[in-house]
Amino acid sequence: MVKPMIQKSQEAENMENPIHIMPRSYLSTENNKTGSWRYLRPRYEEKTAPCSAACPAGEDIGKIEMLTAQGLFKEAWETILRENPFPGVCGRVCFHPCESVCNRGEFDDPIAIHTVERFLADTAERNDLKPLLERLPPRPEKVAIAGAGPSGLAAAWFLSRLGYTCDVFEAAQQAGGILRWGIPLYRLPSPALQREIAQIEAQGVRIHTGKPVTAGFLTDLKSEYQAVYLACGHGRTTELRVPGESLAGVQDGLDFLAGIRKGETPDCRGTSAVIGGGNTAVDVARSIVRLGGKAVILYRRRRQDMPAFGDEVQMALEEGVELVELVAPAGIESENGRCRVILRQMKVAGEDGSRARVEPDGDKTSETIVDRLFKATGAEAAEGWYNPPAASSSILSLSHCTLERKDGRPVTMFGGDVTNDIKSVVHAVASGKQAAMAFDTLLREGPDAILPKLNACSVGGGPSLSMEIYMGGERRLRNPHVVVYKEINTDYFRYSGRMSQPRLIREERTRSFAEIDLRVSGNIAMRETERCFNCGLCNQCDNCHLFCPDLSVIHDQSAQGRHINYDYCKGCGLCVVECPRNAMTLEEENR
Amino acid sequence: MRRVLEGSQAVAEAVRLARVQVVSAYPITPQTHIVEILSDYCATGAMDAKFLRVESEHSCMAALIGAQSAGVRTFTATSGQGLALMHELLHWASGARLPIVMAEVNRALAPGWNIWVDQTDTLAQRDTGWIQLYCEDSQEVIDTTLQAYKLAESVNLPVMVVLDAFFLSHTYEPVDVPDQEETDRFLPPYEARIQLDIKNPCSFGPLVPPAVYMEMRHDMAAAMETALKNFASIEDEYAGIFGRRYGAVEAIACDDAEIIFVTSGTITSTARLVLESLRGRGEKFGILKIKLFRPFPVEEIRAALNKAKKIAVIDRNFSFGASGIFAQEVRAALCNAPVHPPVFGYIAGIGGRDVTPEVLEEIYWKTKQSPVPERESVWIGLQEVKYGS
Repeated sequence: MVKPMIQKSQEAENMENPIHIMPRSYLSTENNKTGSWRYLRPRYEEKTAPCSAACPAGEDIGKIEMLTAQGLFKEAWETILRENPFPGVCGRVCFHPCESVCNRGEFDDPIAIHTVERFLADTAERNDLKPLLERLPPRPEKVAIAGAGPSGLAAAWFLSRLGYTCDVFEAAQQAGGILRWGIPLYRLPSPALQREIAQIEAQGVRIHTGKPVTAGFLTDLKSEYQAVYLACGHGRTTELRVPGESLAGVQDGLDFLAGIRKGETPDCRGTSAVIGGGNTAVDVARSIVRLGGKAVILYRRRRQDMPAFGDEVQMALEEGVELVELVAPAGIESENGRCRVILRQMKVAGEDGSRARVEPDGDKTSETIVDRLFKATGAEAAEGWYNPPAASSSILSLSHCTLERKDGRPVTMFGGDVTNDIKSVVHAVASGKQAAMAFDTLLREGPDAILPKLNACSVGGGPSLSMEIYMGGERRLRNPHVVVYKEINTDYFRYSGRMSQPRLIREERTRSFAEIDLRVSGNIAMRETERCFNCGLCNQCDNCHLFCPDLSVIHDQSAQGRHINYDYCKGCGLCVVECPRNAMTLEEENR
Repeated sequence: MRRVLEGSQAVAEAVRLARVQVVSAYPITPQTHIVEILSDYCATGAMDAKFLRVESEHSCMAALIGAQSAGVRTFTATSGQGLALMHELLHWASGARLPIVMAEVNRALAPGWNIWVDQTDTLAQRDTGWIQLYCEDSQEVIDTTLQAYKLAESVNLPVMVVLDAFFLSHTYEPVDVPDQEETDRFLPPYEARIQLDIKNPCSFGPLVPPAVYMEMRHDMAAAMETALKNFASIEDEYAGIFGRRYGAVEAIACDDAEIIFVTSGTITSTARLVLESLRGRGEKFGILKIKLFRPFPVEEIRAALNKAKKIAVIDRNFSFGASGIFAQEVRAALCNAPVHPPVFGYIAGIGGRDVTPEVLEEIYWKTKQSPVPERESVWIGLQEVKYGS
């Protein structure tokens, strides 16, 4: 309907100012298939985030952060559990190698990945979430696992998801291994650990505590089970090999920590010296402070060379722990119930990897008198047979575990500290996972299939393995190419600093074993994960659709949410350039 | 309401009053103040309009062609290099008969890099089918911008409102800003004559054969003729409401003048001063200010100039190899009249150099003393350049 007045004025106007011809086409432009002009072809192709390749457990971190940013906390938590049964533990005590390779670190600061991991575990705990994970149908084979530490429990978790019946035998009265006995409560409170152990049990894994696996018991097990996984760990502190080591005032650092976890309050009055530079040494020193004593760490290298986490060292110093660098014990003497420690002065003689190489600085020595001395220079297997046998034709030595296979006999697997160069929780998980995959492949496809299968499950072509890929999940479709910073289109990101971890104040820390790192709220976790580049992953930002000048990105109901209409895509590549996260690839057209 | 405004602010106020619905622009000195104010108006809601940020002037004009085709009133502003980059789409806008309005702040083209006034940028676009209106002061800017919408929409051709860099864009003057209500009375909402319709999808501007292209262009030529007529009636209507009128040309003391300057832009204001001075000394001097450059008001120019003995055209522009552009146009307008005065061409003020009353007097005396014009325009105020060291 046209209003008469307008009609009239338009007519008058048209007479005065005629437009005789204004060409229009009512033909659809679809008859011109401009896709035939294309010599480059864009396609959706997810790639690998550096964090996930650096995570020994191969956690799908880019996706975990994406789901968290979307408020899908349960799904994010389950995404961790596919690769690691210990988000609550690792969110607290992992050394997070993921964060040091975070591409965001080249932009402003890395994402606080471990804090998010812990947040997700806390959220699962608070809401008593039960994970819904893929499981393969049950198999007849049974696996015995010696040691309910992180490696044994991880092996049980993955093997049971692959359909195997698992029995875990643990010498102590409670499961957890080093997590329970070697890490102080202020870093890892019991309920966080207990919940994740219970979750493994809820999956059908049976844990038999108070059942040490002796050499004899091992023989029995081999007659009943098709495989044994030995994950007995490094439970014995290494010797200092100096005179006076067995004097009454010289104590074992790991035993000291275990005693506290059992509820003991050892006498820490006066000054205690701790020999070592790892996390155990720092944990012992900080526990001494909490028990009212004064602690001095004596370390043969420098602070920056300490294997202990930098944050932990920093907090220890804040709490009053003293650090003496470049000293090595040369002897210990008893003096009026106290210990006189003779220290050899060390000097830096060069670089050994990223650490200083040290040697004695001539004959220089010093001495210090302390009330007691703790050994915390490292640990080793308590029994020789805990370690994998020397290489032979029956031994398959993998990056995180070792398999011993003799015809007609059950498979014996070794994992955890006894096979890992880096003795960390997440490496222990990697051992359990690799052993589970290797064993399952051996049974299903034979020994020759193990290495190809493990390679196919590699995250980004490195040693990290993905159980999701192994079980045929979507992740297998990703290109193993690890996205580098320059492949991120940073125009789409704003500078925003990393969240800071809320902590107990120093005065509160030194009074008790209460957990230092406080919980963070959902909105902080969401804000932090929004910073994530999600390297190589599509987060449905729809830039490809918005920028396509040929309207050739078509929304659909697929998992990708869209596809490219190659009838009209001219291959300009705008979509690939404007993809902030390198989740698309531009290739030469083959025709 | 009387306010003290820059030329740039005057443009922005007019765009607000015209109830423009889509503004798109890429910032370039000396146009920047205009779009700064407009983006602020769009952001704060002072204007109910969408401000489209773009990555180039080419995209800017493309965006406005789209918006205007969708049936809304649009605006952009640019300068110098920006206008040059728009060139291809200037043809498209006029050929598609879209009444887009643009403010163009005259700026010299690089190299050498120069942000100051020079008319070559707009005059280089004289054949694109855009109506061009050159303004003298801020009051004229605000009035012309409002009239531009009415004129553009009456003939379905785009309009450039042109103002001198800095001398006008950045100079504060008292300006009478029209009321919204009165403006609405003068300029009703835009009724698109050519508009996309999602109920009847089509594309504009497909391939046309030789059999019709010429007729399309003839329609545009006819629309330019109509614009000349409509400009006068629109000025009448505007004067009826607001009491101000400028004319396609303004003949100042031309009736008995022996020498008449042809000027445009802010040089006209300076010439007005010189006129007072020369008349005071008994010189028969007049000025013809040209405001409407496209369509070129040939009849009015002939009527104003024919009785003079000599015409001196001041060009703040240059067409290399063919003299000042206004001079060419004036010669072309006069040459077919049975009797016409000789046309002297002068180049002055290029690249933002000041054209002072002394410069204009120099031109006056040169013209008076020269029996016939030079074949080429004469460059005024050229300094001696030393070559080498």
